[in-house]
Amino acid sequence: MRRHSRRVFNVCYRFVGNRTEAEDISQEVFLRVYRTLGSYRSAHGGFATWMTSVTRNLLIDHYRRTKRDRQTDSLDDAMPVVENKESLGRRPDQQALLNELSGQVQSALTRLSPELREAVILRDLQQLEYAEIQQVLAVPEGTVKSRINRGRIELAKILQHMGVRAS
Amino acid sequence: MTWTCDQIEAQLSDYIEGLLPASERSEFEAHAAQCPECAPLIAGVRNVVTNLHSMEQVEVSSRLVQSILNQTLGPQEKVTRWQTLQNLIRGLATPKFAYGVASVMATFLILFSASGISLRKPKLADLEPSNVFRNVDRRYHLAKAGTVKYFSDLRVVYEIQSRLRQDQNELQVTPDESTPKVTPENKEPGQSDDRSHQQKQQNRANEIGRQFEMLAAQCPAVLERSFR
Repeated sequence: MRRHSRRVFNVCYRFVGNRTEAEDISQEVFLRVYRTLGSYRSAHGGFATWMTSVTRNLLIDHYRRTKRDRQTDSLDDAMPVVENKESLGRRPDQQALLNELSGQVQSALTRLSPELREAVILRDLQQLEYAEIQQVLAVPEGTVKSRINRGRIELAKILQHMGVRAS
Repeated sequence: MTWTCDQIEAQLSDYIEGLLPASERSEFEAHAAQCPECAPLIAGVRNVVTNLHSMEQVEVSSRLVQSILNQTLGPQEKVTRWQTLQNLIRGLATPKFAYGVASVMATFLILFSASGISLRKPKLADLEPSNVFRNVDRRYHLAKAGTVKYFSDLRVVYEIQSRLRQDQNELQVTPDESTPKVTPENKEPGQSDDRSHQQKQQNRANEIGRQFEMLAAQCPAVLERSFR
């Protein structure tokens, strides 16, 4: 339960860039999964892949619903996120730098189009294989690769525009 | 053939992930080395991928987990002490638990009997390591001596049985030549075949006695213990 909730919440958080909204969508995902558990077939891939598909569908619904009144920069973007315990070994200055960079990348992510954003999140943040992403997005592998590539290039351009220099 | 900037852009992720074949890779690098637009783009994308990979998972608040549980499984009921006790008793009254208890008790019984602890008259002194060791050692040697004696007795009995069987076979195959043959010609009036039969039995008894003496000479210790 905790493992699944962590993955779902992280996909939502990286997509919407807002903790409160991400928590609401995560709850919706679990409710949807709980109600439609009978429709799950192993043909959908693993349970985690199926759950990620449900998450993705709800995120796209949420994106369409809030398209009009969306603000590009939310208050949560500036708030530091609670990193996991692996970050405890770092020096405070290193951690601060990483948090700043992470905030900038997160901010750049939310400016991507939803198609490119979801592809990049699944590949580079959730470390899914191309075949798994293909199942989640229900598009051919060529399209998946193309979206990931374009998403990365767009992200690099946005970050460059924001003044984040390549190390 | 020299690659164009569009081709470089299209193959950028494959290049970064090391999925390009060697020939295409060299074409890619040849273009990247001389193109002032593609070089910073490649560095930027590489940087983006590195940054994305270094981003850590965000921790989920316990409030969210609790909220999900409440919405899916319903609010958690408060469990009273009495219900806890009932659940505990229900858990104990299972065949699995009974088998477990029985096997543990059997193990302890075996250990107690092996270490010489009397369950009828338990003494605190029996639990001392030196006493336990002495009792275990004594029981071990008693058991060993008993086993050795049993197998040695068994061996003597088999020996005697086999020799008796051997004598019986010899008597049946070759009748004793020392016994005078009674033929109808030299048979005295009134003499019956019982006499030769008695003679045979006597010979057999003598032979068995002789075998016993030989056996006693071979293994005096064993016989002494067996017939004591």
